Amino acid sequence: MSAAATPVRDPAHQVPVLEVRGLTRYFGGLAAVKDVDLQVPEGAIFGVIGPNGAGKTTLFSMVTGSLAPSAGRVFFRGRDVTGLKAFQRVRLGITRTHQIVRPFRSLTVIENVELATRYGRRPPGTAAEARRRAMEILEFVGLGAQAGLPASVLPVGQQKLLELARALATAPDLLLCDEICGGLTDAETREVMDLLRRIRASGTTILYIEHDMRAVMSVCDRIAVLNFGEKLAEGSPEEIQRNPAVIEAYLGRGAAGVDSDA
Amino acid sequence: MTAAPTGTRTHPPRVTAARDLAAAAVLVAVLAVLPWTEWGNLRLLFTTLIWTTCSIAWNLVGGYAGQVSFGFAVFYGIGAYTAAVLITEAHVNPYLAFAGAALAAAAASLLVGIPTFRLRGPYFAIATIGINEAVRVVMNNMEAVGAASGYRVNEMVGGQRAPFVMAEHYLSMVVIFAVALLVSILVARSRFGLALTAIRDDEDAAADIGINAFQHKLAAHALAAALVGAAGGAYARYAAFIDPGGVFNFNNSVSILLMPVIGGLATVWGPIIGGAVYGIVQEELVARFSQIHLGLYGTLLILAILFEPGGVVGLMRRVWRALTGRRVQGGPVPARGVKA
Repeated sequence: MSAAATPVRDPAHQVPVLEVRGLTRYFGGLAAVKDVDLQVPEGAIFGVIGPNGAGKTTLFSMVTGSLAPSAGRVFFRGRDVTGLKAFQRVRLGITRTHQIVRPFRSLTVIENVELATRYGRRPPGTAAEARRRAMEILEFVGLGAQAGLPASVLPVGQQKLLELARALATAPDLLLCDEICGGLTDAETREVMDLLRRIRASGTTILYIEHDMRAVMSVCDRIAVLNFGEKLAEGSPEEIQRNPAVIEAYLGRGAAGVDSDA
Repeated sequence: MTAAPTGTRTHPPRVTAARDLAAAAVLVAVLAVLPWTEWGNLRLLFTTLIWTTCSIAWNLVGGYAGQVSFGFAVFYGIGAYTAAVLITEAHVNPYLAFAGAALAAAAASLLVGIPTFRLRGPYFAIATIGINEAVRVVMNNMEAVGAASGYRVNEMVGGQRAPFVMAEHYLSMVVIFAVALLVSILVARSRFGLALTAIRDDEDAAADIGINAFQHKLAAHALAAALVGAAGGAYARYAAFIDPGGVFNFNNSVSILLMPVIGGLATVWGPIIGGAVYGIVQEELVARFSQIHLGLYGTLLILAILFEPGGVVGLMRRVWRALTGRRVQGGPVPARGVKA
């Protein structure tokens, strides 16, 4: 059942930024994630899709370290980080955004981001430098005007951007984005897609969970499909769209042949 | 913040500690000169400063970091016993004894914190209740320091029993209070203080930006315990007699928690206001109406939680807003008690 029987190496022969081997997590008797192998190459925007409950967020939590796997290993640039806690992985360069926004509500928008710069991978020397960097990141995601507001008063769309800003502030090498477009308008989604491309262009590898198929297909270089905790398929967006098993998992048997508009 | 005429752009306000430090300096200076004036009841002020110091300390852990502890009497008691033994048995200078009391309490806070900070919300609170009672029972049976019958503090100066000088006890407590206030002001706007606030808001999200929540909670707890321990030491020397039923009393733990809640959690001045209210009420009312004070705190607590969860400081800020139409940065956090 292991998809790693014939490992598909990236042609660049580099050590992948992220590699998970046989990653498994049980909740009671239920396998939320079962024997998943992934290799995320440097500089990719790597999509993880799948129906609700497919185990995408559980997979993320094991990669960032907030959830211990029942079995399997996580490698970051070839180093086994399975035993490290979330805060330790942040300092190596692994950070995430949350599907359901989790701002620090008692702090202002800029304090949220400033704190992340100061505890992240490249902490600035002074408080003033941290503030300057935080402001740059807020301008980058388009929250410059909201810097002084309490984080709790932002509308959801802006809280999603704050999630992204706070994650970026830790100077990640690998950024995990969990459904960052959920609840956004089409225009906002396009803006976020543009941000992701720019983040990738600045050298950060992105692992990206998303329900919005159009968003995933437009931005990802490579996509893995999870279904009932197992990896169903992996390939380029075109390959995934043509894959009968994927179409079946999403739309049910007999739906293959439905055209996609991505 | 400059009053920008128009535009939605709100510049991030840079709240510095300078104003708080200036206010603290004035307060401490006034307290320090009181013994040379005819004003002020030094006994009352001494006990009020003890309570206020404990209140400031608890606020670091319970207010900023949001870890509601019912076990601070443990550190008060350990500080009291450490200073008492150092002064009586080892003839250590009282100020060094207070420092020793602070260290011993901080060390004890690690023993308490390492297992309990793995718990969250109500489970942490319940664990601290258990520890408080367990320590009191152990001390009740500790023969070396007099067990339940207590321990007499004997301070010797040049072969003579040291005379009791109220002003000196009082000034020693002003020093400890000043240190607590300084620590509180510095923590409030520091990276450390912001991280504690982040941990209170969302511990997992804090971990996701690289904050070691466990280590931060332990550090805040140790800092708080040291301050409470020093206050306990000053009390032991002043009272000249301590017993487990007094210093380790669970009521002390509850009182230490009540003061910052009444005054305003996660603010610099809330715990001081709460401590002052408590200290004065405790001394003035308890003497006359021995049972009424518990009812009074209960009423204050219910009023605070129902109508002004930000405590007295929150109420003052609300009045200020109503009068001026301006917001004050860094408001107190609502006291919602123990959250899961």
